[in-house]
Amino acid sequence: MIVCLAVVGHENNPLYIQSFTESDDALKLHHIVHCSLDVIDERVNNPKKSSPTINEAFLGLLYPTENYKVYGYLTNTKVKFILVTTDLDIRDADVRNVSLLFFRKFHAAYVDAVSNPFHIPGKKITSKTFRERVSSIVKSFGLSSAS
Amino acid sequence: MEPDASIETSSMIRVAVIPISDVTPLLFRDYAAMLIRHHTVSLSSISSFYTEHQKSPFAHQPWESGSLRFKFILGGSPPSPWEDFQSNRKILAVIGICHCPSAPDLRSVADQFTAASKTYSSSLVQRCFAFCPVDSQLEDESVKGSNLILFPPADRQTQEFHLQTMVQDIAASLLMEFEKWVLQAESGGTVFKTPLDSQASLSSEEVIKAKKRRLGRAQKTIGDYCLLAGSPVDANAHYSTSLELTRLTADFFWYAGAMEGSVCALLMDRMGHKDPVLEDEVKYRYNSVILHYRKSFIQDNAQRVSPLSFELEATLKLARFLCRRELASDVVELLTATADGATSLIDASDKLVVYVEIARLFGELGYHRKAAFFSRQVAQLYLQQDNKFAAISAMQVLAMTTKAYRVQSRASIGPSNDAGQTHADGGKVHHHSIVSLFESQWSTLQMVVLREILLSAVRAGDPLAAWSAAARLLRSYYPLITPAGQNGLFGALVNSAERLPLGTRCSDPALPFVRLHSFPLHSSQMDIVKRNPAREDWWAGAAPSGPFIYTPFSKGEPNNSNKQELTWVVGEPVQVLVELANPCGFEVMVESIYLSVHSGNLDAFPVSVSLPPNSSKVITLSGIPTNEGLVSIPGCIVHCFGVITEHFFKEVDGLIIGATQGLVLSDPFRSCGAAKFKNVLLPSITVVPSLPLLVSHIAGGDGSVMLYEGEIRDVWISLANAGTVPVEQAHISLSGKNQDSVVTVASETLRSALPLKPGAEVTIRVTLKAWQLSKTDSDAAASKGMPGSSVRQAKDGSSPLLLIHYAECADVKGNKNLCLAREPETVSAPPPGRRLVIPLNICVLQGLSFVKARLLSMEIPARIGEACSTQAQLERGNTEQVNGSERHADRLVKIDPNRGSWGLRLLELELYNPTDVVFETSVSVDMENTSNQENLSDNISAEHGEPKTRIDRDYTARVLIPLENFKLPVLDGSILGNSFQNNGTSGSRNNSFSEKNIKAELNASIKNLISKIKVRWQSGRNSSGELDIKDAIQAALQASVMDVLLPDPLTFGFRLAKASSGDINVDREVKSCVSGDSIIAHEMTAMEVLVRNNTKEAIRINLSIACKDVAGENCMEGDKATVLWEGVLSGISMEVPPLEEVKHAFSLYFLIPGEYTMLAAAMIYDANEVLRARARSDALDEPIFCRGPPYHVRVSGTR
Repeated sequence: MIVCLAVVGHENNPLYIQSFTESDDALKLHHIVHCSLDVIDERVNNPKKSSPTINEAFLGLLYPTENYKVYGYLTNTKVKFILVTTDLDIRDADVRNVSLLFFRKFHAAYVDAVSNPFHIPGKKITSKTFRERVSSIVKSFGLSSAS
Repeated sequence: MEPDASIETSSMIRVAVIPISDVTPLLFRDYAAMLIRHHTVSLSSISSFYTEHQKSPFAHQPWESGSLRFKFILGGSPPSPWEDFQSNRKILAVIGICHCPSAPDLRSVADQFTAASKTYSSSLVQRCFAFCPVDSQLEDESVKGSNLILFPPADRQTQEFHLQTMVQDIAASLLMEFEKWVLQAESGGTVFKTPLDSQASLSSEEVIKAKKRRLGRAQKTIGDYCLLAGSPVDANAHYSTSLELTRLTADFFWYAGAMEGSVCALLMDRMGHKDPVLEDEVKYRYNSVILHYRKSFIQDNAQRVSPLSFELEATLKLARFLCRRELASDVVELLTATADGATSLIDASDKLVVYVEIARLFGELGYHRKAAFFSRQVAQLYLQQDNKFAAISAMQVLAMTTKAYRVQSRASIGPSNDAGQTHADGGKVHHHSIVSLFESQWSTLQMVVLREILLSAVRAGDPLAAWSAAARLLRSYYPLITPAGQNGLFGALVNSAERLPLGTRCSDPALPFVRLHSFPLHSSQMDIVKRNPAREDWWAGAAPSGPFIYTPFSKGEPNNSNKQELTWVVGEPVQVLVELANPCGFEVMVESIYLSVHSGNLDAFPVSVSLPPNSSKVITLSGIPTNEGLVSIPGCIVHCFGVITEHFFKEVDGLIIGATQGLVLSDPFRSCGAAKFKNVLLPSITVVPSLPLLVSHIAGGDGSVMLYEGEIRDVWISLANAGTVPVEQAHISLSGKNQDSVVTVASETLRSALPLKPGAEVTIRVTLKAWQLSKTDSDAAASKGMPGSSVRQAKDGSSPLLLIHYAECADVKGNKNLCLAREPETVSAPPPGRRLVIPLNICVLQGLSFVKARLLSMEIPARIGEACSTQAQLERGNTEQVNGSERHADRLVKIDPNRGSWGLRLLELELYNPTDVVFETSVSVDMENTSNQENLSDNISAEHGEPKTRIDRDYTARVLIPLENFKLPVLDGSILGNSFQNNGTSGSRNNSFSEKNIKAELNASIKNLISKIKVRWQSGRNSSGELDIKDAIQAALQASVMDVLLPDPLTFGFRLAKASSGDINVDREVKSCVSGDSIIAHEMTAMEVLVRNNTKEAIRINLSIACKDVAGENCMEGDKATVLWEGVLSGISMEVPPLEEVKHAFSLYFLIPGEYTMLAAAMIYDANEVLRARARSDALDEPIFCRGPPYHVRVSGTR
């Protein structure tokens, strides 16, 4: 299950954070997203370390924390997508395929959102449409991963 | 659980270092630092202290390469319950440190040390180092034999050498003790227990088990001692045995311990060389260690004690061993596992240590955010302990996290950031600050951190840290804090400030936001002008300029375009406008705010401001420059909320730029409704030495001078030197519009007053003449109908400006010596001069308006009178003077009765008075071009006695200007005549003169003529001026200018001959003056005809005289002649010399009284070009007639 989705700009500035849990753990999720930037930074700075077989944009599992797994995705413009999930029991290969699919969809949604001429690059994304679209993607992802 | 645990820890000998008898902490630390340097003692160096009492159990000790390692524990530590399990946890030696001057009695020192070392039961060697003993103490024999070692006073190097020797001695003693212990342990029945073993009743089964296990544990402990003794090979041998034994007895805990020891031995053996194979080996073995620690977990005593801490410690040890960027993922995995495990730790301090270690390892790995996250966990653990010291620790730990969260205090950033920001001058904000702006968007996290810092600081009783945290929180995140929260922070600030001493400074600014608004330019009264030493007029062209007005190269230079330069003067107050904003919901009282001057040559004056909630204010900050040089004003010093802070303009600029890019939450100025942001760059400000300062004052008030069109008035301007330096050079010039309205400036007065000493004053006179209002202006004025419109007009800059450039050194070159004496540097660049701009505020009101001009011709026949003037007086146009004195009415018209005014032309001006005052006009003719004395007097008389035409308001009046007087006296004597004269004298050249040339000359003379005509007006007592009607006159005259301007070649005149006796003459004259009637019928009347040649050449003429009666009939010829004559009247041939008169006398006898008209006419023979041109005749052979004006003769009947 997806717990949190975040978009982080190229200067490590948060552009969008949305959590999908009922409980009030925004701060914790902020921390998780913030900390995951360490790993992304490291992978970006040492690109040869990442295995060449997978898609370059997809960073894979960043790190597991207490109950969550954090996946990352890096666009060409150095915008990072961070996905926090609680799916601990899915096998790695499955997760890779599913989450890659998810990130592709999410990337498309993001591109559409920032293509809005009224969006200022570098500013937080406040579009309601984007929020709704992300929610629907997350919902469909939950269904597909469950099936 | 211990901090700083690493694999090598197992090989370190713990030494407690304790202060004995009153050592100040500072001294203790100092001595301990000397000691700590000797943490590794090579075995080779201790061999001299070592004596082998029996066969050493450390058979493979590497005497050449090995070493003993110490871990000094300052202040000592309580014994650990796990001492038996890991021997390195034992305090094996105690070193006391004593500062002799503060402990005179060495005996008691020795006693104290003995008592202190007793508490360390495990210690094998005790020494007390006493530093700096006095002589008496050195001689004290009583302490001989005790552990007290005196270090004689010496320099540091010697002392360190002594210390090293002593440490080596200790090392040797320890080594011998270890040998003793190992030998004893191998033989003896020592029992090794850990808290893990059940403490309660030993059942028989337990006892048997313990006996079984004893050997394995003993081997492990011996291995530990081998490690401590620096003999890894021996240790390894013992550990292998132990591993075998413990595995057999399923003593997993000790198995793991032995494994750890074996890894340490392995590493020691490798002497710190790392290679992947070794790493893999260590990793493999440690994984096994961790596994076995986990295995040793016993459910029974899980509540009391757990091997978990050892498991975590082992994990951390491995992580530390692997901690490299390349292995980051492994380390992260280990650390994550540790963090997960730490949650189930029972002991809070264990947890603390684990988190500290995790944070440190993450930090080492370069994962700063992770490190910060765990540091925050540490801080939270500290905060859970409810005491002040824990709070201080929490605060310090949190302070370390601020960097990762980008909320660090400015004090911790240090000056390097400042240096970075100075590069931002070019308008682009420095990269670093931009990044920090981006990162500052993690506001949720940042606010939490700052809030925790605030909380811990309050708890720790550190008001300054609390203030700083509250300030940062409020300043950066006010838009996210509710008004109640803002008030809470306000309270925190105030409470903290109350505990701080007065005048405390904090590096982090709170509110308000301060930004540079503008630098008010010098008022036009104080303008500073750079001197150009190369030029006499130094104020002009100070900037080097080529032949071009616009140079593309100079335009492109970025330095010129956005680097503004300001010059301030020592001792003259300066002002800077700054804008303050308070975007919060409470009132901010700024107790004082003043410019922060890093260059130290400006005295800034504090100002106190109160900012209501959500408001912004522009305030003026002032100061006085004290020293010449550059001034840098990076910000303001603000005393607000009880603390003094420095607010930098650049930070706010960066903030505002960030706000426009959407990086920062909000623009504090925008939200307070301040004006739109304009980027004000800090100009480079130079302070120059004192300059003179002229202050102007217009007599009669500085308001605008109200003048009617054409009015002339004097204005007195007093100039005073308000500076401290004399004005030695001054120059007055004009600028602005309508410069010609300034008629004269008495610059001589100013020049003669130089040098103007400080405080001196000089008054100069400026004569102003109001200009004509243009058509639109007058229309606008008319439409408004009020003088208000003219006030507006005065403001729109149509007034001229008086510029006074002045400076201190009169001549830059000439006074070089003076300058040298004053200031050597000024030779290269002279002190700048100044410019005083005095706006001459002239407000022009509409005055008399000119309606139209017409040229009228008038024919007034002359009367024949008796000329009572001499020949000389008659010459030229002087006659009018004589006549003028006779008849008042004739003065204006100035008719020469002898010549008459046949063809007299009058210029009629129609004037309208639209104003609400009465105007009086008078016409005068200035003959200033002629230097003739008599003319001058004539002019004066004309001015004095000129009749005035009064024009009431809303009335129109006509003024007549006779143009007769403008006739040139000589046909070719004037400017115009010149051309004719040339024509006349040299006929060969005349053809070359083009028509155009003549016309131009003509126009020039017309202008000359027009400029002589002045229509003056006066209104009331003070206003007087001149009508500007030149154009109108010119338009009116253009057609008939020749006739007006040029005299006839010949002038004719009649007069009564002076045949009579003087008495009668006088009598007659009187009579004629009264009645103008002097001829009586039936009397022979002697007359003369005067023919004057106005040219410069003799003219031959054929003169004839005719007399006509009222009906116009010739009354001298024919049948009914009524006049008899004597002399010749027709066909008189004569030659008139140039510019002279010729008389021809004749007599008439009138038979009938009445009006007669005398006419003279002449035919010119051999006329030259001049004459012909004047007569406008083309034919060469055509005779030219000249006709004189008619003269009236009134013949009265009887006397």
